[in-house]
Amino acid sequence: MKKYILGMTLCVISINAGGFNPPMQAYINTLKTQAKQADTGFSDFDAKRGEKIFLSKHIGKRGTEVSCASCHSQNLTSAGKNPVTNKSIKPLAPSANPSRLTEVAEVQKWLKRNFNDVYKREGTAQEKGDVLYYIKSK
Amino acid sequence: MHKKIIISAILLSGIVFADEGGRDVAPAKNTMYLKECASCHFGYQPGLLPKRSWTKMMNNLDNHFGTDASLDPKTKAYITRYLTLNSADSVNAGGYKRSYKINNSISTNQAPLRISQTPYFLREHREVPKQAITQKAVGSLANCTACHTTAFEGSYSERAIKIPNFRNWEEEGDDD
Repeated sequence: MKKYILGMTLCVISINAGGFNPPMQAYINTLKTQAKQADTGFSDFDAKRGEKIFLSKHIGKRGTEVSCASCHSQNLTSAGKNPVTNKSIKPLAPSANPSRLTEVAEVQKWLKRNFNDVYKREGTAQEKGDVLYYIKSK
Repeated sequence: MHKKIIISAILLSGIVFADEGGRDVAPAKNTMYLKECASCHFGYQPGLLPKRSWTKMMNNLDNHFGTDASLDPKTKAYITRYLTLNSADSVNAGGYKRSYKINNSISTNQAPLRISQTPYFLREHREVPKQAITQKAVGSLANCTACHTTAFEGSYSERAIKIPNFRNWEEEGDDD
């Protein structure tokens, strides 16, 4: 019986590895619904599109050219640095920093702030999902 | 007569505090404050600005020195309360000499948002060479911990200053 429970637990853990935790998955599902409402051709989020959103440069809120990588670095498994304050930023990749993409409120807060800083507007549901898939793939 | 004794006692206690070296500013150890504010920059102690400055700052988080630092309403209210209850002009800052001096240096009709632009701060840093501040390892005067090795503890004592790539900072005069 004990072995059975252990086996089940391991199964659940391995299913979850690489996926989002339930609250995050619920948030992803909400974003999917919104993305579908905005574009009937939408099928799923795409890490490749997310990468472009993450790496492309824009004139940001401060009036200078920035991308998400300006702070988080192009290598998501390494630490980043806020170029204004010099403060170090822990890696964004869940593989290097398992606490990433685990708290919905935290994720929503940073998506709002950072889209505003880089794109001078909030991200659309599809953009947010794409970026989250990209980060999750790292 | 009584008044004189009380005043002397207050002055004496002030001297004792100053000599302890750790009574510069009350340390900022609030978990929520550090989580929300110190993820982008040093967790500046609430005792480094007066209440009116913190209130003004917290009401403009959408444009916080050029970046969006917005918070959900509940967190914002909590942090505003923490900052204002422990501001440089609050009862909780009593006995902390840097809080007193910063607050005292600001005109009552002003609410500065940058600690680094308060008259006391400017006076204390006027002799720091420009290259010491602009160098990569420091960046700006807002990066307290780059040189003040005990800043997190709320101690800005001269003995604990180490400017990267510069010989140990020595300044004439006393540590005030």
